[in-house]
Amino acid sequence: MKKSRTLFYPIFIFVLAQFAWFVMVGLWIYRYITSNMISEYVGEHYSIQIVSKSANVVALVGGLILMITVSVAMALIFRNLTSQLKITIMYDNFIANVTHELKSPLSSIQLYLETLNTRSVTPEKQKEFVNIMIKDAARLKNLIESILSISGMELKKIPFDYQLVDAGETFQRLFRESTSQLKLGAESVSITGNAPYSCVIDPNTMRMVVDNLVDNAIKYSQSSPQITMDLSIVRNHVVVKFIDNGIGIDQEEQKHIFKKFHRVYNRSVPNVKGTGLGLYFVKEIIKTHGGRVTVQSEGIGKGTTFRIELPIYQAVKQRYINNLLKLAQKRKNRQEEINE
Amino acid sequence: MSDHDFKGSRILIVEDEESLAVGLEFNLNEEGYQVSIAPDGRQAIDQFDKEQFDLVILDIMLPYLNGYEVAEHMRQSDPQIPILMLTARTGIKDRIKGLETGADDYIAKPFHLEELLLRVKGMLRRKAWYKSTSNENPTIVIGNYTVNFNNLHCVSAKNEFRLTPHEAMLLKYLIDHKDTVVSRQELLENVWQIDKPVETRTVDIFMARLRKYFETNPKSPQIFKSVRSAGYLFSTEH
Repeated sequence: MKKSRTLFYPIFIFVLAQFAWFVMVGLWIYRYITSNMISEYVGEHYSIQIVSKSANVVALVGGLILMITVSVAMALIFRNLTSQLKITIMYDNFIANVTHELKSPLSSIQLYLETLNTRSVTPEKQKEFVNIMIKDAARLKNLIESILSISGMELKKIPFDYQLVDAGETFQRLFRESTSQLKLGAESVSITGNAPYSCVIDPNTMRMVVDNLVDNAIKYSQSSPQITMDLSIVRNHVVVKFIDNGIGIDQEEQKHIFKKFHRVYNRSVPNVKGTGLGLYFVKEIIKTHGGRVTVQSEGIGKGTTFRIELPIYQAVKQRYINNLLKLAQKRKNRQEEINE
Repeated sequence: MSDHDFKGSRILIVEDEESLAVGLEFNLNEEGYQVSIAPDGRQAIDQFDKEQFDLVILDIMLPYLNGYEVAEHMRQSDPQIPILMLTARTGIKDRIKGLETGADDYIAKPFHLEELLLRVKGMLRRKAWYKSTSNENPTIVIGNYTVNFNNLHCVSAKNEFRLTPHEAMLLKYLIDHKDTVVSRQELLENVWQIDKPVETRTVDIFMARLRKYFETNPKSPQIFKSVRSAGYLFSTEH
């Protein structure tokens, strides 16, 4: 259905361009014949030269307009086809990555189940295998959830639970939880600065942002990762920086890393796992919070800094931010009504 | 050679999924093989260059260097090492690319444990068969070329090149069945150990390559003849 709709647009423009082309040729022929007829029948009563001149001017201007229309239509078709092609390539990459990500834990679960079914395994080994299977099942669940939330994110269906919270405290808590969950030792993480100001934040979705950034810092590091979270205030905004000592990102890649399905393919990149969705989610979540996220890196081997800006509630009190709070409150009330 | 003789064979697993690698290691150990694990392309090459292995189980999507690159490197230093590609990519193009870059066999994730173990055993058996027959008759003359089955070198007065292990095994099978028509299916089952009829194109690709190497005019083959709707016939009598 979607495919036929995407095809309809370029075909429609193509037909329109052809139509315009025929009209232009038709108009030229018509002008040529009428000017000849005029010269034959009206003869010396009229100044043939003037008539034919004015006819030529109309035909010329008309022709030029139609030519421009045809060129614009052609340019539109090419632009449309190029972006279609890009989307197709990205989609294929995504499918390949997701297939790999889905099949790997599934293969592992199947392997352990068949092992337990066919071999005599000691109780200790059995426990180890079951724990691995539980981990793989959790990986599958996370992956399926993240794929399902793409459409939710685009249709703004995610039930964000916005709250007025202390930004510094919230980010410190989320950072500590994320680094301990990903088993980073105290020597690998540090928090600098503070931002004790209120912001409108949904702590659950913000956890996704922090988890993704910390996970990326670990994945894209050559040796032992060092991650610093720096909190500060810049022009009515809370600024949270995630600074790592990882492999860095080259200038060209920095433009694309927040795009949906985009993956960095580089010899020096040590990890190939992923769907190309993580940073896309980060960008979308921060955007819905009224903030923005940027990336800075001096290049390959020089570490990366992700910078998140969120508006301070007292300073901006934008209508958008207030609306977020109202929306969350409304949802909460509705939920309470249902529960009663 | 009995299956018992393969116990103690050294297998290198190149797999970045730790859980899968650990599960495979356990099962291969239970079968009596000695197993090493490399979690990425670079370490795979390092380990392969340092130690002696009898078989490699190789994933395609790997950190640093992908499976195709790793396979090519391994082929350069040991033309006869059996490589089993284990991967989530199952498209026909991926399979052909895998076979062309030097994999001997291909198994798709998720796989059945029993099937994997059978394939490993089959590959070790084939390697042993190839080794023993090529030791008996290490060189043979085909057309203008002398083929050495030990180092896979083909030499003529004007030219020299190296066969891939699969090309060599196919050639070996055809020589062993000289003047007999062999079907594509038979070749797939015995040389590749694949039993899906859809894969018969793989045989044609390899046969075209052998013709290109050894035939004076590959378009009208005299040595590797096609037998309509039956298969191929290897013959040195014109």
